[in-house]
Amino acid sequence: MTSLVLTMTELLRYRGAIGQWSWMLHRLSGLGVVLFLTLHVIDTSWAVFYPDLYVHAIAAYQSPLFTIGEFALVAAVVYHALNGIRVAVIDNRPRLWKYQQRAAYIVLGLTVLILIPTFILMFGHVLNFYGSGAPTLSLIEVLTAQAPFVAGFAVAIIAAILFSLVFGLIAGNRKDVSVGKGTGSRLERFWWSFMRVSGVLIVPLVFGHLAMVHLIQGVFDITAANFTVVGTDLVNQTGTAVEFVAQRWNYQIFGAVAIWRLYDIALLSLAVIHGFNGLRYVLTDYTMSSPVLRRASIYLCVIGAVILLVLGAGALLGTIDQSAIEIATHAAENLHR
Amino acid sequence: MDVTFRIRRFNPEIPGKNKPYWQEFHLTDVEETDRVLELMHRIKWEQDGTLTLRRACAHGVCGSDAMRINGVNRLACKVLARDVGNRIQVEPLIGLPVLKDLVVDMEPFFANYRAVMPYFINDSPVPADGRERRQSQEDREKFDDTTKCILCAACTTSCPSYWANGQYVGPAAIVQAHRFIFDSRDEGAQERLEVLGEPNGVWRCRTIYNCTPACPRGIQVTRAIGEVKLAIRSGSPEGIIEESVGPVASSNS
Ligand code: HEM
Ligand code: SF4
Ligand code: FES
Repeated sequence: MTSLVLTMTELLRYRGAIGQWSWMLHRLSGLGVVLFLTLHVIDTSWAVFYPDLYVHAIAAYQSPLFTIGEFALVAAVVYHALNGIRVAVIDNRPRLWKYQQRAAYIVLGLTVLILIPTFILMFGHVLNFYGSGAPTLSLIEVLTAQAPFVAGFAVAIIAAILFSLVFGLIAGNRKDVSVGKGTGSRLERFWWSFMRVSGVLIVPLVFGHLAMVHLIQGVFDITAANFTVVGTDLVNQTGTAVEFVAQRWNYQIFGAVAIWRLYDIALLSLAVIHGFNGLRYVLTDYTMSSPVLRRASIYLCVIGAVILLVLGAGALLGTIDQSAIEIATHAAENLHR
Repeated sequence: MDVTFRIRRFNPEIPGKNKPYWQEFHLTDVEETDRVLELMHRIKWEQDGTLTLRRACAHGVCGSDAMRINGVNRLACKVLARDVGNRIQVEPLIGLPVLKDLVVDMEPFFANYRAVMPYFINDSPVPADGRERRQSQEDREKFDDTTKCILCAACTTSCPSYWANGQYVGPAAIVQAHRFIFDSRDEGAQERLEVLGEPNGVWRCRTIYNCTPACPRGIQVTRAIGEVKLAIRSGSPEGIIEESVGPVASSNS
């Protein structure tokens, strides 16, 4: 904890060059995206497991709080992706260090350049929706709907700390983590490469995903009736979020390839593993002096990643049948009563 | 010109001064070309003999007087008054325990330095002619840059990863290891790569680049760290450095 406070205050006080701000933005944007990814994967799995809850989740996405969050999310992803490419490239060619400052400014500039038209398009959807006078959930309703997540995070954190305490009791707490033991960690070496490779692979996937459901179609069109679902030639007849997901996942090319299921599986696994290993980097940076918290940080990231992968894969391999769409239609009708 | 110093002070032995606090000093008749170290001597000699700092050579050679001057790590003996203007703020390095005023405990820093085996390792018999182990000029150039380090700790204590986690081996130790890992005559590269491949070795570096401009010797610190990472990834220092650093830089900032 003291190390987190020291790092934050001295980061603001140390007059380093742009690199330290790039790093801070990269870290904050990465953490923000992990947080949203967690909500989003759990929410989306409900399309299969609890259709009525999914209708509520999408209704929350179509409220002012999440609309503001959506802009922040898109900005975070764009910055993180571009800066991630900068880091990955220079890490592979250290002698390019002379260009890193210029690259950092280019990353900022490109982020703004990409965000301007993006935000204009998104803003078009926002105006359309809120201008149409469509009913939205109140802030209180949206916030209370997030309460289970907060509770879930608390449970996961407590579980991680308990596991860590138990592990400490059984196997002892190794306090000395200084270097000099003489055996390198194959795992850390793997993760270092994985972060860079997965990051670059995520770029086209996540940009495609954002383009489809934030720009072209927009979060608000997910619940528009008789709308052709983005990336397919199928129509969302009921205008329920559940049918939207069903049509996307049902769409097949070459007769049998469920292209969007494969796409989502690739994005899910890469983003979850990249994001939670990133979270582990961040948490272990600041908990190194406490064996219990350091282990707990690792457990927390493993717990989080496993839950998301299992839920996400379960949903992506599941089926959404007609009865689910009926439940959703019913839930949507009662939403704004 | 006149100069105002704002210095971060701390004296564990004196009640009232055992919490860090700021103190201001004013100096007149300062030449533009005076070095910050000289000015601090003037404060110590003319105004307050209790001001405590470390220095030895006063010429950028020994690495004793790294401190944070106007927000960034510098050697007080290499910064001129005209480089920093007439308001000069001086603080101890971040991340190492402060012993008194600007003097920090360097032991954790040197412990990390020792961990990378910063000495020549070669157990094979000496060459038949009994003279030197030969090395081409190109091979010598590969680690020329990292031979220049004076262990001042400016780089290590400029690194946010090191502030967060004092167990991180830190830039300086990696620079010192680089000097031997990429030396074609040395045979300890594998052992050093193992040490630096530990969880608190090179992997804690997040390519932030605070260390490179902090180095008073103009060493391309982050580049050296990057080369060590690539050597660990490929399992050997062979073929990692295709192009050596080239003309000596005096500063990267
Ligand atoms: C869009 C393409 C992306 C690229 C190119 C990318 C690239 C990177 C790179 C190079 C790192 C540095 C790792 C290190 O310092 O060792 C990183 C860290 C991180 N990434 Fe990504 N990433 C991307 C997407 C994501 C996504 C979708 C998430 C969230 C789910 C995410 C979360 C994180 C986190 C939390 C970190 C750790 C930050 C830190 O250690 O300071 N990234 N990313
Ligand atoms: S690399 Fe430069 S900044 Fe770091 S300890 Fe050596 S001389 Fe000082
Ligand atoms: S006093 Fe020796 S380097 Fe400054």
